[in-house]
Order: sequence, then C-alpha cells, then structure tokens
Amino acid sequence: MEQPRRITDSFPRRRRRGPGRPPGRLKDKKDKNKVQVKVKVRDSPRAPSPPPPDPALLEMLRRFDLSWEYGPCTGTPRLQRWERAQELGLSPPGPIRDALLEHRDNPDVTYRWVWVGGTG
Amino acid sequence: MFSEQAAPTAQGLLAPPSAEPPTFPRVPVSGYSDCSQPFQLGQRSFCRQYAHIYAVRLAGTRPGLERRARSRWGKDVVLRKLSELQAGEKCCVVGTLFKDMQLQPSILQEISEEHNLVPQPPLPKYIQPSDELILEDELQRIKLEGAIDVQRLVTGTTLAVYGCEEEDGKFLVEDHCFAGLPPPLPWNGPSSDRFVLLASGLGLGSVSGEALLSTQLLVDVVTGQLGAEGEQSCAAQITRVILAGNLLSQNTQSRDTINKAKYLTKKTQAASVEAVKMLDEILLQLCTSVPVDVMPGEFDPTNYTLPQQPLHRCMLPLASAYATLRLVTNPYQASLDGVRFLGTSGQNISDIFKYSSMENYLEILEWTLLAGHISPTAPDTLGCYPFYKSDPFILTECPHVYFCGNAPHFQSKLLQGNEGQRVLLVTVPDFSATQTACLVNLRDLTCQPITFSGFGADSED
Repeated sequence: MEQPRRITDSFPRRRRRGPGRPPGRLKDKKDKNKVQVKVKVRDSPRAPSPPPPDPALLEMLRRFDLSWEYGPCTGTPRLQRWERAQELGLSPPGPIRDALLEHRDNPDVTYRWVWVGGTG
Repeated sequence: MFSEQAAPTAQGLLAPPSAEPPTFPRVPVSGYSDCSQPFQLGQRSFCRQYAHIYAVRLAGTRPGLERRARSRWGKDVVLRKLSELQAGEKCCVVGTLFKDMQLQPSILQEISEEHNLVPQPPLPKYIQPSDELILEDELQRIKLEGAIDVQRLVTGTTLAVYGCEEEDGKFLVEDHCFAGLPPPLPWNGPSSDRFVLLASGLGLGSVSGEALLSTQLLVDVVTGQLGAEGEQSCAAQITRVILAGNLLSQNTQSRDTINKAKYLTKKTQAASVEAVKMLDEILLQLCTSVPVDVMPGEFDPTNYTLPQQPLHRCMLPLASAYATLRLVTNPYQASLDGVRFLGTSGQNISDIFKYSSMENYLEILEWTLLAGHISPTAPDTLGCYPFYKSDPFILTECPHVYFCGNAPHFQSKLLQGNEGQRVLLVTVPDFSATQTACLVNLRDLTCQPITFSGFGADSED
C-alpha cells in the first residue's frame, strides 16, 4: 500500500507574514553558535522623493482655483479643470498646466485647495 | 399614404388565395448610424456636485446667446455681467434662470422636524401665482420682473434678457430671447417612401390585459401577417421600429416587498420579471422581421437618472440573439437613411409640464427646441448624472425628427426655421392607454397615427 498522499506534498506549507509585521528570524537549532541571520523584508531601494513644490507655485495654483472664469473648482482634479476650461475656449494660462504635469505625483498639487478640516 | 396604398386591394381579402403567394421583401437597411455617444456613460462617478453641469451649460450656451442678442437688439447692445450692472443703464445679460416655487417638493422641508409636515402628495402642477424668476450668472443672481412670463419658464433655461436694473435691485425686463433653433443639418433623405414606426408606453405587466391584443396587432402589422396584399406591401416599407420607453407598466414598480420581513417575501417574484419575459417574446417576433431600437423609460429596469443607459441584453435572451435588436439610451439620437432622429421617453417633457403653465406636450417640445436644451429642469427636479466636462443635453445641431414618448395624445407639427431648418415634432402617445402608434414617412417628413382597437368598426390602418 502506498503512502497516503497529502495536499502538503504538492503545496508545501509556507509561513506567510502580514505586510506590516516584523520580519521573522530564521531559527536553525543545530547551529546555535552561528550568528543569527536576519532577513529584511523590505530591501528594495526607494526612488529619491521629488523635491517639494515651492510655495510660489502652490500660491499660483490657489489663484487658479479661485478664479471664477474657469468654473467651480470643487470635486475635480486641477488638470481636469484646466483641460475643461481649454475646451470651452476660456484660454487658461499655459504655465499652470506645465506645473501640474511636472508635479503629477504630488497630491497637494493635483487636487484643489482643501479647507483645513473640511470635505469641501 | 398607408391607407391610400392599402385601400384598392382591400377586396383581396375576399378573393380566393392566389396560386403563388406573393412575397414582399422589406426595404433594405441603408445608412444607419448611432449618434448617441454623448449619452453613453462609461465609468460613472457620483462624487461631483451639480455646480459643474450648470457652469458648463452656461459657458456652452453663452456664445450662441450673445450672438442672438446682438442680432436681435442691435450690434452695439451692451452685454454686461451681473457684477458690472449699473442702475438705469439698458443692457443685456446672459444667465441661467431659477424659478423660486413655493410648492416645489423639497426633501429638506419634508424631513425637517420643526415643521412636522406630512409629505406633500404629488400634484399635477406645482405652479403658483407667487412664483418668482431669478437670473443667475457665474457670480451673482438678480430677481427678474417685467415682460417675462414667470409661469411659463422653468429652472435651468439659459437665456438673454434685455432691460435695466432698477433702484430696488431688481432687473426690469423689456425683452428676452432664447438660443433659438440650432444650425440645420444637410438633408440626405430617401427618395422613395420609407416609414419608421414610433411607439411608446407598451405597458407590459399591467394588471389589465386589454392592451395585449393591441400590442399583438401592432406586431402583426409590422411583420406583415395582417391584412391583404396592400397592407402587407405597405408594411414592407417600414424600415425600423423605435420603442420610446415605458415598455413595462407602472404596476411592476410596486415595492411592498421592501417593507415586509424576508421570510414572508422569500418566494415572491418581482412583477417586472414576468413583464420582461413578455417583452422578450414580443421583441423576438419583431426582431425576426425588422430592426428595432429599444429605449428605456421611467418604469424600465435601468438607472433612474438621465441619460438612462440601455437595458442589459441578459434580460432579453431570446431577442438579443438577433442583430436587429438595438438597445439604446434615453435620450436617443441616430441617423436613419440620412434623416436625423432625436428623442426621449418623455420624462423631460412631463417634468417641464409639472413646473410650467404650458399645457400642451407639443408646445413644450417645441419650446425645448427653441430654448436649445433637451431637458433644462435636469438636475433641479429631474434626476441627472453630474456631468462636468460638457452638457450633452444642449442641442448643437437641429434634428430632422424630434420626438418624445409617453405623451397623453398624438400630435405632430412640421416646424420651419429661418436658416432652412425643417423639424418634424412628434409626441408619441402612450400605447397602453391610447393604442396608437406613429408612422413617420422619411421622404417628406409627414407623420400618421395608427390605432389598434380590439372592438369597434373604425380602426384606421
């Protein structure tokens, strides 16, 4: 009679750690004298964060938000508002769009000016 | 038209069947293109507020209104924004109307505890003599009085008013104008008689089954199974059938099961399930013979807000196997044989009817065309998707046939414009109540009603 097959033969048990948990230490009982090897979970190099936009740029974007010619500013990303104004023929200033595309990753830049402590 | 062609061969019904039965090939489909892409919503996001749609509506219609104002009141008429108004100066202002109505149902008043009000029952009309008109532009608003019919106009219309500001801060209107008929489309209509059948309000799933016989007669006429050779040859000239909404009846909308406990309602089926099965069978008979466009309506299983998205094809398994079935949006725009059709299932017109003194559905339909907007009361009193980029309900081109479904009676009118526009306005009646459908002749833009009654000697054909 052959050995009863278990599901763990085809799918070996692996201990999985949650994303926020500290990395486990590899325990090797035979080699107690050896230095414990610590495995770091996160070891991919991070990309250098982009330089924060200067306050003058943020001030220019705030003025773009508050100018009434281009329509309401709430609830839509600034780039979408700029493009909508362009399509309606209201000729919004070009430097705003360049600044928005340059700092695309920064949420302070892409979204409109938020009231402190409100949903807007 | 239909009757004239059919009449000479009416005696054919009494004659013995001919040796070789004649066949009538249906006129081939040529030149169909669907133009309702602006009404098709892909990803829907409801995080935006409605300020955007109003801003875009005003920005989109402002150039046209300023042009109309200049042509009407002189090239050197002063165009001012509300913030630049000076008292006593005659000028023209472009803006959006807001009608302040006392009886307008307000959800805030209903749930307000200090009033302790019972929710207002739905009224046929919500107008009152004490209503006021206010004009809003991008920044300010001003009350209007003078030569402007307060009862007739509704919220959301964009217009240009000419007058002056008075000492007490109100604007005295001397004259006003709307955007007018949109620019005309070139005419490429067919040279021979081609008919399109418009029907709406089939009302399946209702408690009484009287309209079912009429619906079956309608299907039989279109598929050529009724009448002598004259009627059959006429029916072969029908190139398309458009069902303009309310395929299901209002009875299928009952929501009693929501308030009951789950164990009581376990085995009950929604009334709309049976009704949709019936619809599927009727559409199957139609689709085997003629292309059909199905628009959703107020009581159909699709979303509530305008523009209503097409019914899903999984609900109609038998009929959607045929390529002749097209499930389309409400409002619907398409070009059939070079003739541009634009129409809705009637929610926009009946909403304006509730908030305006206009009594006639055809009059309201004509007014929406002259105001340049399919549904100005959306989103104020009629549910609407929060558009932000552009308002798809603004009329940019003048259609050749402009219809609305679920009207109380059949009416039609051919409207001629100054720039050569020719529009056929049709109010398609509710089939479950009137048993009447409309046949539109594409060659000369004429319209004829066709009534199917179960009893009675006089049924027009």
